Amino acid sequence: MKEYLVKFFVNDEPIELRVPANRTLLSVLREDLALTGTKEGCGAGECGACTVIVDGKAVNACLILAPELDGMHIETVEGLAKGSQISPLQESFIEHMALQCGFCTPGMLMSAESLLRDNPHPTRDEIKKAMSGNLCRCTGYKKIVEAIEAVAEKGVYDK
Amino acid sequence: MRVVGTSVERLDAIKKVTGSAQFADDIQFSRPLFAQVKRSPYAHAKILKIDTSKAEQLYGVRCVITGEYYKKRAGLYLEDKNFLAVGTAKFKGEPVAAVAAESKEIAEEACKLIEVEYEELPAVFDSLDGMKPDAPLIHPDLHTYKVAPIFYPQKGTNISHHYVLRKGDAEKAFKEAYKTFDNSFYIPHVQHVPIEPHACTAQYMPDGELCIWAACQSPFAVRRALAETFDFPLNKIRVISKAVGGGFGCKAGTTLEGIVIPLAMLCPGRPVKLTYTREDEFQYAYVRQGLHIRIQTAVNKDGKIIGSKNVLAWDGGAYTEYGVNIVKAAGWGCVGPYDIENIATDSYCVYTNHPVGGPYRGFGMSEIHFAIEQNLDMVANEMGISPLDIRRINGIRPGGVSATGQVIDVAGYQECLEKAAALIEYDKPCEPSGNPRKVRGKGLAGGWKAPSMPTDAQSSVIIRMNEDGTFILLCSCHDMGQGSDTVMAQIAAETLTVDVSKITVRTGDTDHTPYEWQTVASRSTYCAGNATKLAAEDLRDKILEVAQIKMGTWKKDLYLEDGYVRRVFYPDIKVPISTFALGLMLPDQSGIAGPMIGVGSYTVPNNIAADIKTGLSPKPVAFWTMGVNGAEVEVDLDTGKVKVLKMVSVFDAGKVINPQMYEGQAEGAMVQAMGTALWEELKLKEGKVMNPSFVDYKIPTFDDMPELIVEVVENAEPTGPYGARGIGEIVMVPGAPAIANAVANATGVRFTRMPLMPDVVLAALKAKK
Amino acid sequence: MKDFQYLLPQTLEEAVRLKEEYDKAAVFMAGATDIVVRMRDYLLTPEYVIDLKKIPGLDGITFSKEEGLHIGCLATMNEIAGNEDVRKYYPTLAAAAESVGSRQVRNRATCVGNIVNASPLADTATPLYCYDAVLEILGPNGKREIPITEFILFVRKVALERGELVTGIRVPYREAEGEFRKIARRDQVDLSTVCGTVLKFGDEYHIAMGSVAPTPLRLKKTEELLAGKKLTKELIDEAAELAPTEVNPIDDVRASKQYRLDMVSYIVRDVLTKLA
Repeated sequence: MKEYLVKFFVNDEPIELRVPANRTLLSVLREDLALTGTKEGCGAGECGACTVIVDGKAVNACLILAPELDGMHIETVEGLAKGSQISPLQESFIEHMALQCGFCTPGMLMSAESLLRDNPHPTRDEIKKAMSGNLCRCTGYKKIVEAIEAVAEKGVYDK
Repeated sequence: MRVVGTSVERLDAIKKVTGSAQFADDIQFSRPLFAQVKRSPYAHAKILKIDTSKAEQLYGVRCVITGEYYKKRAGLYLEDKNFLAVGTAKFKGEPVAAVAAESKEIAEEACKLIEVEYEELPAVFDSLDGMKPDAPLIHPDLHTYKVAPIFYPQKGTNISHHYVLRKGDAEKAFKEAYKTFDNSFYIPHVQHVPIEPHACTAQYMPDGELCIWAACQSPFAVRRALAETFDFPLNKIRVISKAVGGGFGCKAGTTLEGIVIPLAMLCPGRPVKLTYTREDEFQYAYVRQGLHIRIQTAVNKDGKIIGSKNVLAWDGGAYTEYGVNIVKAAGWGCVGPYDIENIATDSYCVYTNHPVGGPYRGFGMSEIHFAIEQNLDMVANEMGISPLDIRRINGIRPGGVSATGQVIDVAGYQECLEKAAALIEYDKPCEPSGNPRKVRGKGLAGGWKAPSMPTDAQSSVIIRMNEDGTFILLCSCHDMGQGSDTVMAQIAAETLTVDVSKITVRTGDTDHTPYEWQTVASRSTYCAGNATKLAAEDLRDKILEVAQIKMGTWKKDLYLEDGYVRRVFYPDIKVPISTFALGLMLPDQSGIAGPMIGVGSYTVPNNIAADIKTGLSPKPVAFWTMGVNGAEVEVDLDTGKVKVLKMVSVFDAGKVINPQMYEGQAEGAMVQAMGTALWEELKLKEGKVMNPSFVDYKIPTFDDMPELIVEVVENAEPTGPYGARGIGEIVMVPGAPAIANAVANATGVRFTRMPLMPDVVLAALKAKK
Repeated sequence: MKDFQYLLPQTLEEAVRLKEEYDKAAVFMAGATDIVVRMRDYLLTPEYVIDLKKIPGLDGITFSKEEGLHIGCLATMNEIAGNEDVRKYYPTLAAAAESVGSRQVRNRATCVGNIVNASPLADTATPLYCYDAVLEILGPNGKREIPITEFILFVRKVALERGELVTGIRVPYREAEGEFRKIARRDQVDLSTVCGTVLKFGDEYHIAMGSVAPTPLRLKKTEELLAGKKLTKELIDEAAELAPTEVNPIDDVRASKQYRLDMVSYIVRDVLTKLA
């Protein structure tokens, strides 16, 4: 089994690893780096539970091959809070109770984070469309939409 | 009340938004082994021979087992299930062998090397076929299985339970009726689809102790089932459940644990791990049972239903160890929240060669209400009565009687009905869509549900006071997102008159948290909530017991407030409760009492089993929660697509402990119900799941979310903690029929089968033309 | 997922050389959103995966009225959907690109990948069929071009020779009116039950449908029927009746055959009615 040396960044920390080709970013995060905040819900890019931000874009970690990581800047849910100071988006999720079981929550947060960076004041329809790649079975989505709207309203992501 | 009835922040919120909440698959083990399963390619086949020798020789394989290794059957109510097939494989994908290996890839490879010879057997793919006298028998030895005394397997058939209900004289009512109706419905299999798939790790230690980390709703039920199957004393088997990523029923009972344990027992010291893929989840975890239901209705000329005859044929799948209870629960609830004098119901649990049926949010109620509530609209239309009025006429009122003969003292149905009808503006036509090819309609549906559990299901809670006046609450009702941790903290905080932040809740460890029957049945707020209240009261009593010594007055003249013990007559005289955390030190520095621990044990009092012949019982369940959903839909006449524009939810919660969490339950339930109404079906073709992934099993996403309105009615449950009753499931039950009624209202076409997929809808619209 | 060797060529020539050498044992990868899932499911078990992402110059989207639109093989669906020129001059293609998968998938998935996969329900195929798009191919014998309608041969079969690679898609510019329609169970993140594009260039009509045959199809008879005629209600009815006779869909878990036939008819009727 051939291994590939990849140098990349996770939440600004430099990482060097040797990885086989047939692994995904998701399994590298969870198994090699023990960053288990990023979840596997389907492994096929359908549920969004593994959403991370790579080079500024929201992507499914289950659809990126490990050797592709070389040079990537990856942001995961573990990087949202600064120390014990949670981010305004995380705070808004809590305030609006935009989570129940919490399994989809890391992916939701990363998807919403990337949406708001691109579009600091999305309309409700834009939110619903942009977030549709993230499935939640508990909340019915309403409180998540409200949490995103509320944090946008505060102008947190204004450039 | 200070804490109960307020939207305090979820206890687990920060953990969950930072990714630090630990789920079963997140736990890191040293030197884990990975399990993989060899599964039957046939829906029904005799296993002639299994050759595991090639798999065993593969580098990195540590052990291989087949059903022969542990033949003892398991099951919650009916011991009919083997974790690995013994003798015959009874559904497509049933485990026939399992491997533990050093990596997932090796385990997968090893499974391919296991050679199995089968002889295919005739199979059953429909419950009605399964009930026929000449149907192939799936469990020929059914009559020898161990079964809970309230279930009645029929020897020599595929019927594992037949619940009979005979109340009044249905035949007479039908003879005297002004009009009678006969409608049939079919509800296909659906899946729970928690976003977290099942996961389990088992570790067997050389000293004979077994530890299981599982994504599970009910650690104690799992412990008991596994202990019995694998012959462990209960003090040697420990089940730990961490954060659970959604359950909806599928993580009650045992699924993959029984595959992993025997592997772990053969590899002492090594944790053996199995995590289902989404495709595994769709095919091999529990599914919601399919149902054929026929409802005959006898009505007098005023629209009052005077008789109801119901035949329910449940497609229980290959094993019905859990399913039998759903069949019974559906029998108890068979006419919905309607007061009907004469009822004859037969509810059959039928084995088929389909995936294993199990508990799903609603526990039979979502399925039967899809029929009951559409039937009501159909009767109303024929009688020239509005669907609202037929519910006003027949809907249960305080003092009304349930199907089993239980007098319902608290019944908020009518209030919920009026409120829901007002919220959806049922009396007004829909706003026009602005497009003649898109028609709109409104629908209402009611429903009810009771906790279906053993009559003596138990709960217990321990509250320990720390030296600083904070508390650790130990319980085993499990938070799988519904928020039970927060609810228990609120109930305890209310009783102890402290802030919720003073209470830490720990759950999910059968060695360290006290007994809880199961986290199912919408029973936690009620049962575990009652146990929490009892534990808090016990603790309060113990504090006051020593406080009276310190404070120089009788216990009866003391009370707790804001973390202080105060005197009734001199409230300014107060002592922090922390003073008593470890008992009390007397002036001579000697100690009395000791650490403060409150204990609460609770069993629903006076729950009585139903009679075998009549199915009647004056109180088979603790309470019934009832309410109404309304829906407004838009149907595209060109594409057959149904869009749900708005849904409203009004249920009688007794007392809402946490309004924001209640809303979350109700909103999520409406959207989940909408999924089953519009898209969700496990498409089965000769036992094969044709859509075992999110590509073709669609659950609702953000874009599908309708406008959601949640209101509540609060008629206190006299026996509930602070008046609360369970709501987690009922809030989903009437959603699907409300949508179907709205579609019928919009189009004039009635859909007696779920889901209302665009091609089905369009075909029906064309046929109507 | 079966193990494989990951190859990361730095130039097009190197990519072509590798593919020529390993031939069927190798697959090209751009966005990876399709092949990773198929490799995970063992539906695809290559010995070599050739990642094109480090080759410079393949990610561009350029447009001029003279040259038309050029989409490099690394241009993602979101880049296409968000490109001002595509939105302005090829709105049906922008809409089709935006309808693919989720936002996360569209950040990685490429239009060329969507075409090379040759799925009958590829969303971006029908607008490209209507625009008579041309695929630019580089191989051991140099460059060649092939119309998209001749490129997709069958389900997951395309007209590529040994060592060949699609470097981009050229879409000629013609002023057009019309719409892309996607009929799916869910409006977001779903595969097409039927997708279609109807374009009107002056008095000429191009109609393409997806998920109604082993490949996307141009409905030539319907196009001929309409050519040069005024869109009357009668003509539209006739076209809507003729269109389904040109396709050959199947029953599957997503929908019945009849439903797909009905949708072809509906798309034709509805878009033509709007164009009339």
